[in-house]
Amino acid sequence: MSATCEFQAKDYKSDLKPIWCPGCGDFSVVQGIYRALAAIGRPPHEIAFVSGIGCSSRIPGYTTAYGFNSVHGRSLPIAQGIKLANPDLLVLAAGGDGDGFSIGGGHIAHLIRRNIDITYIVMDNQIYGLTKGQLSPTSQKGRVTCTSRYGSFENPVNPLLYVLAYGAGFVAQASPTDLAGMAATIEEAIRYPGFAFVNIQSPCVTYGEEAQQIKGLKAISASLRELGHNPEDRLAAMDLAQHYGEKLHLGVFYKNPEPPPTYDALIRERQAQLSQGALPKERILDLFIKK
Amino acid sequence: MATRIDFAGLSLMDALDLAVLIEEEAKERYEEFAAQMDQHRTPDAARFFRLMAVNEAKHGQELAARRGQLFGDVAPMVTRAMIFDVEAPDYDAARAFMSPRQAMKAALASEVKAHAFFVAALPALKDAKVRALFEELRDEEVEHQTLVKAELAKLPPDSGLSDEDFVDEPTAQ
Amino acid sequence: MRKDLVFGMAGSGGDGIVSAGDSLLQAAAAEGYHGVMTKSFGSQIRGGESSCRVRISTDPILNPGGNLDVAVALNWEDFLKFGAELPVAGSTVVIYEAATGIKETEIPLVGVTPLQVIAVPIAAMAKETAGTERAKNTVVLGLIAGWFGIGAVAVMKGIRKKLAKKGEELVEANQRAFDAGRAFAMEHPLKASMNVIASETKGQVKLITDGNDMCAAAAIFAGCQFFGGYPITPSTEIMQFFTDHVWKYGGAVLQAEDEIAGIGAAVGASFAGKKAMTATSGPGLSLKSEMMGLATIAELPLVIVDVQRGGPSTGLPTKTEQSDLFAAVFSAHGDVIRPVLAPTSVADTFRITIEAFNIAEYYQTPVIILSDQEIASRKETLDPIDTSQFKILERLRPAGADLQDYKRFKQTENHISPISHPGMLGGTYLASGIEHVESGAPTNSGSVHQRMNDKRTKKFDPLKDRKDLFEVTGNPDAPIAMVAWGSVAGVCREALAMAQAEGLNVKLLVPYLLYPVAEGVYNDYFASVQKGLVIEQTHLAQTFKLLRMHIDLPKGVTSLARSGANPFLPGEIVAALHRLLSELQRSHEGNLQPQE
Repeated sequence: MSATCEFQAKDYKSDLKPIWCPGCGDFSVVQGIYRALAAIGRPPHEIAFVSGIGCSSRIPGYTTAYGFNSVHGRSLPIAQGIKLANPDLLVLAAGGDGDGFSIGGGHIAHLIRRNIDITYIVMDNQIYGLTKGQLSPTSQKGRVTCTSRYGSFENPVNPLLYVLAYGAGFVAQASPTDLAGMAATIEEAIRYPGFAFVNIQSPCVTYGEEAQQIKGLKAISASLRELGHNPEDRLAAMDLAQHYGEKLHLGVFYKNPEPPPTYDALIRERQAQLSQGALPKERILDLFIKK
Repeated sequence: MATRIDFAGLSLMDALDLAVLIEEEAKERYEEFAAQMDQHRTPDAARFFRLMAVNEAKHGQELAARRGQLFGDVAPMVTRAMIFDVEAPDYDAARAFMSPRQAMKAALASEVKAHAFFVAALPALKDAKVRALFEELRDEEVEHQTLVKAELAKLPPDSGLSDEDFVDEPTAQ
Repeated sequence: MRKDLVFGMAGSGGDGIVSAGDSLLQAAAAEGYHGVMTKSFGSQIRGGESSCRVRISTDPILNPGGNLDVAVALNWEDFLKFGAELPVAGSTVVIYEAATGIKETEIPLVGVTPLQVIAVPIAAMAKETAGTERAKNTVVLGLIAGWFGIGAVAVMKGIRKKLAKKGEELVEANQRAFDAGRAFAMEHPLKASMNVIASETKGQVKLITDGNDMCAAAAIFAGCQFFGGYPITPSTEIMQFFTDHVWKYGGAVLQAEDEIAGIGAAVGASFAGKKAMTATSGPGLSLKSEMMGLATIAELPLVIVDVQRGGPSTGLPTKTEQSDLFAAVFSAHGDVIRPVLAPTSVADTFRITIEAFNIAEYYQTPVIILSDQEIASRKETLDPIDTSQFKILERLRPAGADLQDYKRFKQTENHISPISHPGMLGGTYLASGIEHVESGAPTNSGSVHQRMNDKRTKKFDPLKDRKDLFEVTGNPDAPIAMVAWGSVAGVCREALAMAQAEGLNVKLLVPYLLYPVAEGVYNDYFASVQKGLVIEQTHLAQTFKLLRMHIDLPKGVTSLARSGANPFLPGEIVAALHRLLSELQRSHEGNLQPQE
């Protein structure tokens, strides 16, 4: 598909007014998604956009796609059901770092190993914003929050290393320090035929630390392309991903040059194979005949 | 601010298109900020951002008209993907409960940023007409700064108190 | 000659007692009998105690039966572990392994003198004829054929078919073991003949299946195209059936990473416009409750099967119970009405599963099918079912004018709004767990919340008028009444017939719809009632309490409730009904005396 198409970014923007605090990084993420979707050009009604619970999980409502703002941590289970039920749909899932790596942390490994063609966008802000600033799974060790008054004892999760280790075929990172780059990354993730993960450093203006705001992010950001990183090199990607939290590498960490067949494609094959000469539904009880 | 532009190869048409895109981006950002301020009951800041959006739009239209006269409807070679946050304030420049003063300071910072963009680009430019245009745009940014500063000066003196000491805490959802 | 026989057999897993039961049931079906087979196991994965109960009758069978007519013990230690599940009475013929060394007069059954006790050198016969003691189960089948006249031809026909691929040698070894058992029986006739009369329907097609497979087949018949689940005993076979068959009908199945993801995927598939299902047992139901609440507020059709086992927590994973009733009715927070249906047999699991899909689709709601371990894993012979008599409903989809300015949660007269799905032009909306206005946009308005709760609960009102989801048998004006559901209903149906034969004026209400509680149906039913029992396998009398929440039960209606694993026997229920009658007579005498 070419980048010029009949849909523009504004066609994906709904009339709902975001509840986010002014200055929230998620405002840029939704813009990035509008642009990526416009570049891809699928009509909004052929897109299903699922989220969990959290500030960022409000995002499907701000698009004109079919949205599903579900329950905490469960965007991926629902998204996979949608994709398996109707593989023709473009399925997006999104949520925050708590949604994806704490309460719902068990799901991503399984979507990756199934290689279901879904793009998962995590708006990573290292804090629980909706509940007023508690420690999140990606909070730095020692971080002081209202549930870690004297500093946390816990090491943060490294989302990039996680998904690379699980075997994701597409792993990227973006941030509001580069909206065009974010849009391009999301677009590339959606176009990747298989499970794609984009971690977006999306600052929390209300509870985030100063160093995590855009100015601070700019100071530690580096374009993977400019660094000369080869996105086909998974080990190099894992090496770079280890610097999560200290460095903000932007762009594609890893993209499998030979994407394996997706689960949804395999389902179709099996359906086509087995539906040949199947007993009609009305006669399914014949399976129980004992002669 | 981020760009993916080869300044050396920029033609006058490209430069004009780029300038239009920069103004458009700024206009949209200010509109977005205004909407955020509306949503968060900060009407004075909303009004100011809307004013900025109108100014950027006006400037963008002027540039677009010039481009039209010179090059008609020849398809542009530059795209929005090549620029980011040139004259538009950073996404996190918006804040809850912004006073007009804070809003103006945010705008001023982005005008300074835009000025720096044109200044930084100048040495790389090869085409004389493009250079002239960039110098013009650079100077306009200075004018804009002056205007915003004038608006700032009209405001009553800053109390020096922090808003955070007066407002309610955020609401847990 | 008898019409009905109940066999109970127990041994260790290595004795192959369950496959003997399977062979017996299939042979009985081939000979035109009705049959029911239940299995019960210890907790060992392999080799622990296992048992089965096979009931064979010329008439349709209402439940697995009470006291055993024939008990087969391959060793006493294992047999005794099933105490209440394999009750031996004065009418029972006991057959046991002679190698146990226990004298016929000294078998370890306390407080009961069986009709006849026969020690048979089963292992020795197996070894001698087939060359391995493993053929004990075939010897037992030969004994049964010889003594009770079931399966003389059909058993070996079935074994032959099953083992055909493994070679003639194995078949012949089994034939010799079977013949030896049969010859032993012929040489040692019973004191009183217990032969079953020949079935008139011999040669007619019979189906054999269990509740889980029936449930899955019914779901596919009803148009279910997606199953998401996680392995859990005793419901896993439902997922396995989908794995074998759903692809053929354009559907898909996902063995998910956990119970939550299983139901989550089903919620997603329903959102995507497909009929969807998940199945689980108690612990899984607990995990799924948040998603059930989501499906309720997002008004998404979904069928959840809960095959009950003993709880709480891991409880008794291989034994039946009805104690998930409260969880089925009340789990998930907030004001929720979620229909709960319960089949009572393998046969009606077909209809009830279809009903569950129809209700889910029509009312746009999650529906729970509350099955139980007994129904799920027991095998029944069935007469062929005419599937064309079942109507399949589809969710109301928006069309034409609905799609102009589409409102997903539009208030309508019957509170049901047309539901779109991704891919449908003009139907885009936001589904959400958060409260929403008619368009689907989030809100925190109290008045909208009130209106939407009204919509989501009042839409079920017509369901309470579905009298066809209730079965009343016996004399409709009877003063003595029973209420029972699920597998307990079958026992009560038999108890009803026995009580009526003994002259009691009794009736039985079997609700297939447990929730919402249909007040009208119960009020009508109890109008004539002075004494009654709500009979259930729960420790806390959950059914009784649920009914009392909604209905002013007559004072004389009490609870007969006990924990699972120990099945009710028809005889004990009849005895309880007799007690009610005598109480009733006493109170009548008390009332009548002053007037006389």
